[in-house]
Amino acid sequence: MHDWIRKRQGPDREAVTLRRGRIYILPTGLGVAFGVMLVAMLLGSLNYGNNLGLALTFLLAALGVVAMHACHRNLEQLVARPAGTEPPFAGQEAVFRIALANPGPLPRNDVEAVVAAATPPAHVPAAGEASLCLRVPTRRRGSIRLERVEIATRYPYGLFRAWAVLHPGMTSLVYPRPADQAPAPPQHAGLPGGGIARRGEDDFAGLKDYHPGDPPKHIAWKAYARADELLVKEFSGAAEATPVFDLADAPGADLETRLAVIARWILDAHARGVAFGLRLPDEELPPAPGDAQRARCLAALARFDAPAPDVA
Amino acid sequence: MSPERTENFRRLAWTTAGLAAALAPHLLRLEPWVAGFVLSVAAWRLVAERRGWRLPSTWVRGLITLGVTIGVIASYATITGLDGGTALLALMSALKLLETRTARDQTVLIFIGWFLCLAAFLYAQDVATAAWVLPTVWLLAAALLRISLRGGEGPALRPFRTTGAMLLKAAPVALVLFVFFPRFGGSFWGAPSSERAQTGLTEEMSPGDISDLTQNDVVAFRVRFEGDEPPPPRERYWRALTLNDFDGYTWRRGDSQSYHVPEVRHLGAPVDYTVTMEPTAQQMLFALDLVASWTPDLAYKSWDFSLRTRRPVNAVLRYDVRSHPEYRAGESLTGALENLSLQLPDGRNPRTLELARRMRAAAASDAGYLQSILDLFREQAFYYTLTPPGLALNSVDDFLFNTRQGFCGHYASAFTMMARAAGIPARVVAGYQGGDWNPLGGYLIVRQSHAHAWSEVWLPQRGWVRVDPTAAVAPERIERGFEAAFAESDALPGALRRESELLWQAGMVWDNLNAEWNDWVVQFDRAAQESVLSGLGFDDPDWRAFATVLAVGLGITVGILVLWLAVELRPRATDPAAAAYQRFQNRLARRGIERAPGEAPRDFAQRVRRLRPDLALPALAITETYLRLRYGPAPAAGDLRMLRTLVTRFRP
Repeated sequence: MHDWIRKRQGPDREAVTLRRGRIYILPTGLGVAFGVMLVAMLLGSLNYGNNLGLALTFLLAALGVVAMHACHRNLEQLVARPAGTEPPFAGQEAVFRIALANPGPLPRNDVEAVVAAATPPAHVPAAGEASLCLRVPTRRRGSIRLERVEIATRYPYGLFRAWAVLHPGMTSLVYPRPADQAPAPPQHAGLPGGGIARRGEDDFAGLKDYHPGDPPKHIAWKAYARADELLVKEFSGAAEATPVFDLADAPGADLETRLAVIARWILDAHARGVAFGLRLPDEELPPAPGDAQRARCLAALARFDAPAPDVA
Repeated sequence: MSPERTENFRRLAWTTAGLAAALAPHLLRLEPWVAGFVLSVAAWRLVAERRGWRLPSTWVRGLITLGVTIGVIASYATITGLDGGTALLALMSALKLLETRTARDQTVLIFIGWFLCLAAFLYAQDVATAAWVLPTVWLLAAALLRISLRGGEGPALRPFRTTGAMLLKAAPVALVLFVFFPRFGGSFWGAPSSERAQTGLTEEMSPGDISDLTQNDVVAFRVRFEGDEPPPPRERYWRALTLNDFDGYTWRRGDSQSYHVPEVRHLGAPVDYTVTMEPTAQQMLFALDLVASWTPDLAYKSWDFSLRTRRPVNAVLRYDVRSHPEYRAGESLTGALENLSLQLPDGRNPRTLELARRMRAAAASDAGYLQSILDLFREQAFYYTLTPPGLALNSVDDFLFNTRQGFCGHYASAFTMMARAAGIPARVVAGYQGGDWNPLGGYLIVRQSHAHAWSEVWLPQRGWVRVDPTAAVAPERIERGFEAAFAESDALPGALRRESELLWQAGMVWDNLNAEWNDWVVQFDRAAQESVLSGLGFDDPDWRAFATVLAVGLGITVGILVLWLAVELRPRATDPAAAAYQRFQNRLARRGIERAPGEAPRDFAQRVRRLRPDLALPALAITETYLRLRYGPAPAAGDLRMLRTLVTRFRP
């Protein structure tokens, strides 16, 4: 069935309008119970020759029919679009965001995205947007792909469940899980000649203009207050002490353990606000401080010699 | 209270409200302890949710369930009947409330609520019940919507509004199903009725029974006459059954169905009419004396000229009858029937027997004797009263010699006994006498308060003759009804008094509504369906005709529903550029320049230029700006403002 839908619809990289042809609908358990109740009421009313009982039964049955169409319509013409991911560390949950835009004049209630578990349902206002935040557990480093996801709803009454299958092809990197404890990085790390390693914050050397990416803790707030310009404190020895973490230096029996150690080093260095670099056998990232560098380095670790993506 | 608890409380409040509305029609019918138990559990449960109390543990609930089950078995002999079943449903809802935690538990309560609505219709299908049940169904569905909502809850009453809109869309589909779903007119399993005695005549009569009934204004049946002309009041004797078995106090119908039906000669003009009777849980039908023919297969004519159905009448029933007010019935009397009609209990009412012997001896003939009994009632100090005193076990003795106050039943009982005591075959006939004419609907309303009892005696060469001893004491009762008979009395029940003309008219309007309701909705049966189908061109419709009409009807209504839902979904034309351009067109149209359907805006602008060269410049500017806004790759921010300004200044 999944393969059939996949073949029928093709991949959905971009925004997808949920049209009639791709919305499926079936009664829920509650809907089946409702049907059984209606049959019992029908038999009872016929048996007693009770016309108002029949009228009641038929009114509820018709309400069920309306509910079915309303449930189907609750998804119709919604526009679903991949809206980014938040890479996790292995073992944490990857976050896939799916934006739902509602071009129509009717609000949509209780729309959820389902892979293994469902997201909290979203209310998509008329002519508005809502975002579904799909959390998928990860096991190992590498990447995880959102192969297929159902956009589903049980609104109204929960008697029916309508759903549309998307193949968004979204992939989220999974960073290696940082080692809980890691030995300090080798002192020579990053120094081609193996020179002295000094911590980059020891000696104040002067002020320079702020550039995005400079660690916020180095901003000279006092100077800012005086001169109304952002300056960053420079420390002597920073250049020599900038660590470049090399996979070859990381201790550990296997690749994953060593990647975990490097991830720990990167987090520690980032937390201290110093610049750092990364050297992998096939990739080298020159030292830099800041969040972007952290993401770049962790992504390189996630990609390095990675296994085939897991499928969410 | 945490947001989650608030949410839970609100859900529970919706469900409980729906359930309470569904229970309301049953509260007075249920045993008081059942009603009390259910109501207190519902109240306790709401408070418990509000205050965050713990729900009873499994074994406490088990104990309660056990107690309640024993209670039901003790109070209701059976749980398969309507009363027991309803009580069980009500109690189940209460027990379920005690363990309700999740939304899923609550859906069970809503289903029970719908079943209680169905049960309400099994008890009564009148307008009032329907008017209560419809909003209840709505409320229950809204509660289901409310508890199934998981995201933001929105305005408090939105589930009610949304459900209302959906019921409106459901109505045409439901109507098609109601009209065309074939009625079988039978039952799959026995249709158990309410075990509780329904108000109305029963198969036995003790002193005081009928005067109790007269306090009751409930409609027993309604009659439409052919030609819309009812017979005169003195001919409105509606026979229900005869009472033949007397034990000195109570008259019973007796188990005596094996007599053959005596011959009847119908004289005079017939009266044709249609009776729509309310359920009685009895096997009797009502017909004017004396019935000649009736809706076949519905009933048979008993040896005492009453119509009897094969099954108790548990739903509103309509039937056609032809009666002849003038008749000769049963001119020859079989021995067995004679014995039955002369039977008297040994040693009971001795003073009456003695009186009968004396009076018979004094009279010249049987007829003279019967007349002397009526004279006795008329001339001596007998009183016709709605509130007669109770009678001793020898009820006729007590009535004739002590109390001398009685209602129709007392007189009929005494008269019949005295006839039998003198060797004249006689029996008590129970039924209704009279009826209120509803000028609005042109039909007769016969109420329980019209219940009456009279006598029937057998005389040689004349057969069975009706004698109404009440007429001797209170002739107004027969000719003009209760009001006349009790003109100066306060004892008349409130409903019978015409307190004001307005109220009386309102009552007639309401009754007419109920009568029409019975005719068009409650009694919409196979025959009515077939007449609808033949109106659609199906002569002699079979199951294929039903299937066709049902399928086509459903196809059309569901198609309309789908279209309706799709139209609601369509984005509304709120494009401000289009609105501004429309204003531009309107202004030109007022000057006689109209854009043809399908004419492109630029062509239209050229036409304007040719017709009114003075307007050429602004018209072209407006057109170009509009086209840029609607179809241009990237309209500038100021374009819309410019278009609006241009249109506002455009004065052709």
